[in-house]
Amino acid sequence: MPEAKYLLVGSSHAGLEALRAIRRLDADGSMAMLTKDSQLPYSPTVLPYVMSGRSKPDAVILRDRAFFDETGCVYAPGQAAQSLDTKARLVTLADGVQWRYERLLIATGAAPAIPPIPGLQSVPFHVLRTLDDAVNLRTRMGLARRAVVLGAGLVGLHAAETLAEAGLAVSVIEMKNQVLPGYIDAKASERIEAAFASHGIKLLLGRTATQVAALDGGVSVTTDDGRAIEGDMLLVATGVKSCTEWLAGSGVEIDRGVLVDDRMRTSAADVWAAGDVAQGLDFASGERQVLGIIPTAVEQGRIAGFDMAGDAKQKPWAGGLPVNTYRFFGRPAVSVGQAAAEGDGFEVVEQEQPRKYRRIVLADNRLVGIITVDDPFDAGIMGELIRRRVDLGAMKDAFLADPTQVGRRLMSEMWR
Amino acid sequence: MSIAFDTIAFRAPKCDGCGECMKACSAVKQGASRISIVPGASAGAFEMALCRQCGDPKCVMVCPAGALTKNGASGVIDWSADKCVDCLLCTSGCAYGAISADPVGGRVIKCDQCGGDPACVSACPSGALEWGGAGSIYNRFGEMEDMFVPGLAGCQGCNSELIMRHVMRRVGRNSVLATPPGCIPGMGSVGYNGKTGTKVPVFHPLLTNTASMLAGIRRYYDKVGRKDIVVMALAGDGGTVDCGFHAVSGAAERGEKILYVCVDNEGYMNTGMQRSGATPYGSWTSTTPVGDKLKGKTQDAKNMPMIMVAHRAAYVATASTAYMEELYDKLDRAIEASFKGFSYLHIYSPCPTGWRVASNKVIEACRMSVESNFVTLWEYTPEAGLRFTRSPDRPIPVVDYARTIGKYRHLDADQLAHIQAKVDEQVALLKRLAGEVATAPAALAAAPARTSTPDGAATPPLRHETFRP
Amino acid sequence: MSAPATLKATSRTMVIDGNEAAAWGAALSRPDVVAVYPITPQSSLVEYLAKFIAEGKMDAELMDVEGEHSVLSVLHGACLAGGRTYSATSAQGLAYMFEPYFRTPGLRLPMVVSLVTRDSVTPCCVWGGQQDAMTVKEVGWIQMYCETQQEICDSIPIAYKVAEHADVMLPVNVCHDGNYLSYGVARVDLPEQEVVDAFLGEKNVNWHACLDPERPMAVDPLTGGAGGIGPSTFVRYRKGQCAGMAAALDVIVAAHEDWGRRTGRYWSPLIEDYRMEDAEVALVTIGSMTGAAKDAVDDARLDGRKVGLVKIKTFRPFPAKVIAKALSKVKAVGVVDRAVNFGWNCGPVFQEVLAALYANPTRVPLISFIGGLAGADITPEHFGRAIADTVRVAAGETMSSPIWLNEFDQ
Repeated sequence: MPEAKYLLVGSSHAGLEALRAIRRLDADGSMAMLTKDSQLPYSPTVLPYVMSGRSKPDAVILRDRAFFDETGCVYAPGQAAQSLDTKARLVTLADGVQWRYERLLIATGAAPAIPPIPGLQSVPFHVLRTLDDAVNLRTRMGLARRAVVLGAGLVGLHAAETLAEAGLAVSVIEMKNQVLPGYIDAKASERIEAAFASHGIKLLLGRTATQVAALDGGVSVTTDDGRAIEGDMLLVATGVKSCTEWLAGSGVEIDRGVLVDDRMRTSAADVWAAGDVAQGLDFASGERQVLGIIPTAVEQGRIAGFDMAGDAKQKPWAGGLPVNTYRFFGRPAVSVGQAAAEGDGFEVVEQEQPRKYRRIVLADNRLVGIITVDDPFDAGIMGELIRRRVDLGAMKDAFLADPTQVGRRLMSEMWR
Repeated sequence: MSIAFDTIAFRAPKCDGCGECMKACSAVKQGASRISIVPGASAGAFEMALCRQCGDPKCVMVCPAGALTKNGASGVIDWSADKCVDCLLCTSGCAYGAISADPVGGRVIKCDQCGGDPACVSACPSGALEWGGAGSIYNRFGEMEDMFVPGLAGCQGCNSELIMRHVMRRVGRNSVLATPPGCIPGMGSVGYNGKTGTKVPVFHPLLTNTASMLAGIRRYYDKVGRKDIVVMALAGDGGTVDCGFHAVSGAAERGEKILYVCVDNEGYMNTGMQRSGATPYGSWTSTTPVGDKLKGKTQDAKNMPMIMVAHRAAYVATASTAYMEELYDKLDRAIEASFKGFSYLHIYSPCPTGWRVASNKVIEACRMSVESNFVTLWEYTPEAGLRFTRSPDRPIPVVDYARTIGKYRHLDADQLAHIQAKVDEQVALLKRLAGEVATAPAALAAAPARTSTPDGAATPPLRHETFRP
Repeated sequence: MSAPATLKATSRTMVIDGNEAAAWGAALSRPDVVAVYPITPQSSLVEYLAKFIAEGKMDAELMDVEGEHSVLSVLHGACLAGGRTYSATSAQGLAYMFEPYFRTPGLRLPMVVSLVTRDSVTPCCVWGGQQDAMTVKEVGWIQMYCETQQEICDSIPIAYKVAEHADVMLPVNVCHDGNYLSYGVARVDLPEQEVVDAFLGEKNVNWHACLDPERPMAVDPLTGGAGGIGPSTFVRYRKGQCAGMAAALDVIVAAHEDWGRRTGRYWSPLIEDYRMEDAEVALVTIGSMTGAAKDAVDDARLDGRKVGLVKIKTFRPFPAKVIAKALSKVKAVGVVDRAVNFGWNCGPVFQEVLAALYANPTRVPLISFIGGLAGADITPEHFGRAIADTVRVAAGETMSSPIWLNEFDQ
């Protein structure tokens, strides 16, 4: 029976960072990384670029074989975890092979959430979560003229842009009244919407798909206002859900994802979780949420790795901070923290200029969120100002006028 | 051993915000500057954002495209234009504001250190940016053997211990080491009761005869053909400039082939902080106390390295632990020269205990002593003459340095003016010796013969000459 | 390593002064390092050394340093590195050398330094006397006093043999009187180099403490203190030093004996008895004065007085037992010094002899004569007076001591 002191299930950002953290404290402990993917590690975030052709599928790997040799980690691709027995400390794979572990990291990420739309399951549709998905989409879009995209989140918008740039007529159906719901505010959304519109993409906001039907070589999607949107291909991008099915019956406590504490420990002994599969602390609310972004996956992976390797000095995690960097038609939209917040306790400063948009959210004279369109900023510095709850004090006006300069100054002083 | 890397260091107090670094970077990189100088907390203060080439780089870890990698050979975080998908996620991983989108073109830009010869550093006129060679030093010397026992009983923050360990690490085992009475043997380098504290042959000479004993050792080894041994001293200033002076002077005059390292802590710190001939004017010491009638030492320090220049020693240099790259460079040359003649290395060594400096501020004191020209860094050989190894231009006022040192706490304005004038005079003299035109020091400019010329030029005409006694 | 140069004297028999004799004695001993600094009346000695080295007669490093302090200091270094070392000094030079001089025996450095003895300032004086050597008698160097130029030449190789003996390992001063021996010319037969080489054998001067990267060690770590093993460590060092000094007596005798066998010149190693077989009174002398004293003894014998003489060659370590024995049968002893013991208002040799005789069952009167200070001549007449005074003391007369032999010289 194969066994490992450290068994990492999942090979993306959280798993890789955990590997690195473990090795900083334990150079020799046996380690294995299992992944259902057949390739070397890659990031789901890069897939829209594979779809667009900008990145070649073989050029997006995050670590090569040599890395695993050097770090003394067995890399086992094509190994889908099927079940977990926390008492016997066994992970059973789809092919029946069992791995014994001393310490287990669940980093199985998320999978597309397929909405329960009547007819959807009986028509061919695409998702974009794996490298194979991206390659398939790229092949398919070369043959299509019209495309329908369900969902105006990051994946949906990226794909829509790619499809439109490839010459397809694209319609995007989004339940909410804006794009990138939850990430950005309405005014930022308007600028993005305008860009999509100017590129001929139909954004159907505030609309729900009520029926999907097969059409000759394509699909027809009916919306709640009774319209039928036709396409040669359909992409479902209505969000993701954590890959927790294989944990059923394991005793690991699950809500929307695997519930973890401030050291990424799950409810089961010697089992940690990190990344898109984990439901951990949110910095702003103090509640446990699935954040589903790379910076959080990396942080959680690192904390989990250190804790797995027995680092007694770790401070409890303060929670994840939303960070999104998005480009549409070459234009940047960047947000950090509670960028869309409003209401009591928040001081919102919106700076609307023809060529750029900035929205800064303060609470108690401290930055809590910022979003810009066409005005990229130092997202890392803003994140530090938020996390450290830096009182802007007398610098507030200067900060509002030029957050980049003042942010750099504050960090430079702090690091010096 | 892991390897370390050289870095660009920023000395905020020296930056005047001229922006030359950014212009140079822009020009070399054909785009926005990778280095960013921003206004600081007060008028005239500046801060900087620049890639630190982190050892644990978050930007690399958050990149979804594998476009950023830590280069194991250069230490630089390399960016691949081919792999980058312009997602800007890397900017969220950097707390330094050091990787950002170029306003033109929108791709991320970051410092690549220009392959080890950064344009910004070359362009910086104020000395605020420096190419720090500490990484190279570590790579070169990190695995070399420490020649002293781990538990030397120096005071916390002792700069002399730092000097001892660095110097002997470089010198190595094929050496004979004299440590005349003082802190250096006092902290245990010669050991106690028959046990040594050092891995090389080590001994207490008398306070008065260090250079002579070494000369005898060297002559004998030369006579029997063992010419590759480094015969050296780690001596304090008292035994060098005061009672051991005759021996140093005699050995230098005879060209004895020894390496004499003077660790100058400006007094007899080991015996309780009494004044020596190397104690600077105004210093409180236990024999130049501060009271109603006396306010510290009333004479200037003897300038021992200059005296060694006057001896035409084979090599003379001053060094400071705030500038380790330089110290190591000079050590290389000093060792080399010690096989040809008398080689003298004078290293300034603030004493946290005797100078009343916090132990964590000792290196800062070293740095400020140099930045204020209180200590000048230069080297001399009879062949090449004297040259500055750090420019004395644009010094900070000596008072800024003096304020960090407890033994100067009592100084009044007149005393500070005296020290400043002395510093200016020394720099002017050194500049003459180095063949540089000196700017008029305040003390000289005030003298009638050297007042401003009618057209207002305050600089007295000085001849270009290189000092070759 | 260059081949050792063979010393080639122009003639085996030379007529030279004592300083040159010392220089030849040193040269024949093949020191590796010689350090020099001039002082009257030693100057010509170091000039000879420099000349020998310049002419290639002697294969030694010549270190012409900036003062006697460094003279001995460079030799400390050279000796700890493994070299045989030599120098010479006198009076103020010895005083200036004192700091490293004081340390040499503790380091157990087997070096040889000639003392061309002289009265020291003040009163200002540059002439012979033994105040310099007598002042440092408690420092821990072995002291041997020579009577003739030949003895100077021979005593330097003997001194190395003693100093470098494993049971001794202490520095030796070979003393010869300033002016009378330093400048006085006499016939000297130079021993063959091969004879000296064979006599001295392989040198090994730093087996106990060295400064050599091939044998790294700390030389002279801190010791002593109020507690722990510090004080006992210090005691062990000191006791060892005293043991070395005590052992030197036998080694000195053996070395002189060995030298005699090889050269035919048997010098008295510790003391010399002169006409002591049936002596009723005795003079005790030291150094070059002895020749005139012997003449005076002979004259007294002609007058029928039973007078003998004991000459001290080795003053440190003090050969107390042999002196006590040599003087065990006389009725009175007159000790002639060329120096002063300020604390006891007598001559220093007198004080030592007085103490040595305490071991004898019979108390005899002693009288202290002090003469030959500052270059003054102690003539046979002076000694004659000394003998007469001693005889009177032996007869029971009490005399004021010390008696200053040159007090009324005009």
